[in-house]
Amino acid sequence: MLSRHADACYWIGRCVERAEATARALDVHYHAALESLLPASVDDPEDSGALSPWKAVLAVTGSAHAFEPRYKLASDRNVLQFFVLDRENSNSIFSIWSAARENARTVREMIASEMWECLNVSYLQLQEWTLDRVLDGSPHEFFQSVQNASHLFQGVLDRTLLFDETRDWLDVGRFLERGGQTARLLDIKYHQLLPATRSADPGSVSPETYGIGGPLDIQGWIAVLRSVSAFEMFRKRHRDGFRPPAIVEFLVLGPAFPASIRHCVDRVGQCLQRISGSASEEPAGESERLIGRLQADLTYARPEEIIIGGLHEFALDVQSRCAQIGSAITHEYFSY
Amino acid sequence: MGLLNDCRIPGHFDEMFDDDGQPRPHCARLCERLGEMSPNDFVSRRHLAELSLVHQGVTFTVYGDERGIEKPWPFDLAPRVVPGAEWDRLERGLKQRLTALNLFLYDIYHDQKILHDGVVPRDLVVSAAHFRRAMIGFRPPDGIYVHICGTDLIRDDRGDYRVLEDNLRTPSGVCYLLQNRTILKRIFPVLFRDISVRPVDSYTTQLLENLRRLAPDRGRAEPNVVLLTPGVYNSAYYEHSFLAQQLGIELVEGRDLFTHDAVVYMKTTRGPQQVDVIYRRVDDDFLDPLAFRSNSMLGVPGLVNAYRAGNVALANAIGTGVADDKAVYVYVPRMIEYYLGEEPLLPNVETYLASDPAHLSYILANLDRLVIKATNESGGYGMLIGPQSSAEEREEFAKRISAAPRGYIAQPLIHLSTAPTFIDGEFQSRHIDMRPYILCGPDGITLVPGALTRVALRKGSYVVNSSQGGGSKDTWVLTTDSMSQSMPGMTQSMPGMSQSMETSPGGVAAQAMGALNQAMARMQPALSSLEMDAPHVADAHPIPGAYRGNQ
Repeated sequence: MLSRHADACYWIGRCVERAEATARALDVHYHAALESLLPASVDDPEDSGALSPWKAVLAVTGSAHAFEPRYKLASDRNVLQFFVLDRENSNSIFSIWSAARENARTVREMIASEMWECLNVSYLQLQEWTLDRVLDGSPHEFFQSVQNASHLFQGVLDRTLLFDETRDWLDVGRFLERGGQTARLLDIKYHQLLPATRSADPGSVSPETYGIGGPLDIQGWIAVLRSVSAFEMFRKRHRDGFRPPAIVEFLVLGPAFPASIRHCVDRVGQCLQRISGSASEEPAGESERLIGRLQADLTYARPEEIIIGGLHEFALDVQSRCAQIGSAITHEYFSY
Repeated sequence: MGLLNDCRIPGHFDEMFDDDGQPRPHCARLCERLGEMSPNDFVSRRHLAELSLVHQGVTFTVYGDERGIEKPWPFDLAPRVVPGAEWDRLERGLKQRLTALNLFLYDIYHDQKILHDGVVPRDLVVSAAHFRRAMIGFRPPDGIYVHICGTDLIRDDRGDYRVLEDNLRTPSGVCYLLQNRTILKRIFPVLFRDISVRPVDSYTTQLLENLRRLAPDRGRAEPNVVLLTPGVYNSAYYEHSFLAQQLGIELVEGRDLFTHDAVVYMKTTRGPQQVDVIYRRVDDDFLDPLAFRSNSMLGVPGLVNAYRAGNVALANAIGTGVADDKAVYVYVPRMIEYYLGEEPLLPNVETYLASDPAHLSYILANLDRLVIKATNESGGYGMLIGPQSSAEEREEFAKRISAAPRGYIAQPLIHLSTAPTFIDGEFQSRHIDMRPYILCGPDGITLVPGALTRVALRKGSYVVNSSQGGGSKDTWVLTTDSMSQSMPGMTQSMPGMSQSMETSPGGVAAQAMGALNQAMARMQPALSSLEMDAPHVADAHPIPGAYRGNQ
C-alpha cells in the first residue's frame, strides 16, 4: 500500500474518532453543568471560579492556550463556538470532520464509495449548523448527530471494507485515538476536583460536597462514564456503586469495554502486526516495541496502583505514550 | 404541447428537431416520452440526480464564498441521440484519424519522411512547443504514442460533423461520460428499456487491458500499473480518482514515486515497489524536473531516463503534443492521405495559418470576422473572437500575430448545432459539441459507442467549458439506425480548407479565400475546447474538498 494512502487512512480513523470524542465530552459536560452540583458556567469572569466544567474540558484537550486569547470568557456560547464550528480551531468538530473528508478524498478510490459518501454527506450537513441553531434547540441534538455520523461511518466501514491493509490503517488510527481520548476523559475528573483538593482557601470548599465519595465526586465519575457511553455497561458489571478502582478497572485495564484503553491498545498492536507481517513475539519495529510495552503495563497493572500513583499522572503518561507510538508509526511507515 | 416543445433557433442545426420542427425519427420515442412528463416530474427527477451527485462529491466549487459552496457537476437530463449508422461512420473516421496521427508521431520522431517529402512543413513541426527532441529515435512499446485520445467534434449549420481539435496529451472528461450514463439509467429506467442504447461500460476494461499490455516484460505475472495525478487540487482530480477506482490501480502523485538506477519505484508501507506502467495525467512539462521544467513539483526526477531505458511505460507517450498543435492540426487530412492512401472521412474546420504569408495578410485584413487562436494554448487563452472584439483588441492581436506568426491560426465562425436543454423549468435550445474517447492498444483502435456531449448552458453562448457555464449531456448511440432520412453532410462535399488541401497543397490560400464567402455567413466562434488537465500550479488558492469542474 502506498505510504501516502496509509497515512490518509490512519488520519481518517483518528479524525472520525476525535470528532466523536469531542462531541461526547461536550455533550456530557454541557448537560452535567445544567445540574446544580457543578457550578454552571457563567458569563461573569469573577464568579466563574476554577470550577467551570469548560475549564476542565479546555485543559484536558490542551486547548486553553488557543481558546483564551481569542475568546477570553469560558461561557457556553464561546466554548461551543470554539469546539463546534470554529474553522480556525483545528480541533473543532467542523475542522476535524473536514480533515477526515479531505483525507478520504485522497483515498476515495481505495475505500468503499459508501464510506466516502457518509463522510461527505455529514460534512455537508455540518456546514448547515450555526451556533444559534445548536443552542436554540437542544445542543444534545447536535452532539448526537455528530456521534451518529461517526457510528454510521464506522458501521459502513465494518460492513463494506475488505479485511486488508486499508482497514488495518483505519483501525490503527481509530483505536490509537480512542485510547488516548479515554485517557483524556479520565483526566477531566482530575481537573474538576482540582480546586476542591488544592484550593488556597480550604474553607471555601465544603468537604461534604466535594470530598471523595461526596455527591460531586460521584457525579463527576458518572459524567466520565457517560462521556464514553460506559454508564449502562458499567452498571451491568458493577451494581455496588461507583468505586474508583472498579471504574479504573472498567475504563483502563479491562478488555471488555470497546473504549477501554487496554482494548484499544490491543487492537492497535494486532493491526500493526498484521501490517508488518511479524508473527513472532519480536517487535518488527519501534512502534510495535512501544505498543508491546504499553500492552504489558496495562495487562499487569492493578487499578489501586493507578489511583495511588495518581490518576492524573497516569492519564498524562498514557497520552504521551500514545503520541510516541503515533510518531513512531509515521517514521516507520509514512515518511521514511 | 407538454414539456418538450420545438425550441429551435433559426439558422442552426438542431439535433432533435428537423427543419419543419418535427422530431427527427431517431428521437421520436425520446420526444414522446419526455412529452408525457410534467415539468414537476422532470424537476423532481433532476433534483434526485443532483442530490446523488452532491452526495458522491461529483461537484465543482463556486468561488467567492468562504464556505466553499459546492454545486453538482452540471448536466442535462435530456440525452443527445445518435443513430447507429451515423455513429458507425464517425467511428470509422475517428479510427482513421488516430491511426494516421500515431503514424505521424512515429515518423517525426524517427525517419521524418513526411517532412522530407514536404507534405508537412519541417519548420512547423520543429517549432511546435510540444515537440520533444529528447524523444527522437526512441521507440515506445508497440510504436504507439497516443493510447487515449479525446477528439472534439462539432456539427455546423448543415449538420456536417467536423473535427475541431484532437486532444492527444492528457484528455479529460471520460468519467462524466460514464457517470452521466449511470445517472440516466437510474433516473429513466423505463426510457432506457424502450430505446435500445449501446452500452459504454467496456471503456475501463479495455483501457486497463491496453495499459497492462504496455508493461515491459519482466517475467512477472501481474504488472504494476498506476495512475499519476497532479494531486487533489487539480480540477480533474475527481476523474483521476474515479478511473483509478474503476481500473483497480493505485492513484499516485509524483511524491509517491522515485527512481533508482533508471527504475521507477513507489513508496509503500512495505518498502519500495517497482512500477511498470504509468497512466499519467500530468503534462510532459511537469513529468520530470530533470528533463523538462526544473521547477515542477509534480513530477518524478529521473522518470524520463527510466522511460528511455524501457523500464517503465507511459500512456500517453512523451511528445504527443506536437500533433495536437493547432497549426499541425491543419495537416491531419494530408497525413491521412500520406500514410494511409485514403480519403479523410472526417473534415477539419477551415483554418488559416498565420505562418503562411498569404494567409497572414488575409487574417490581418479580416480580424473582425475570424476567430484567432494561439497554437499551443488551451482553455480559451490567447484567443480573439473577431466579431465580439473591440478595435483595440484587434490592434493588439494584429501586433502579436505579426510578431510571432507561428503562434497563431484563424478559423471562420461556426454555428454549433443545438439540442433542447432543460433550463429554468422548460426546454430551451443550447449549443453543443461532442468528445468521443478513442483507445489505441496493440490489438488496434477501439472506442465505446458514446461520448461526452458538452452544452453551453448560457443562452446564445458557444462556450461549452464547464468553468464558463458549460454542462454535459449523456450521448446515446442507438443499436439500430432508426433514421429514415438520409444523413446530412457526412459524405457530401466537404467545403473549404480540408478539401482544398487534398487536391492542391500549393493553392491552400486561394482555395480558402474561395470558401470564405460561404464561411462569412457563420459569424459565431466555435469555442468548444475541453482542454488538457490544467497543470496543478494554476490553483492559486485551493479550496479543500473542491471539485472545480473540468477544463
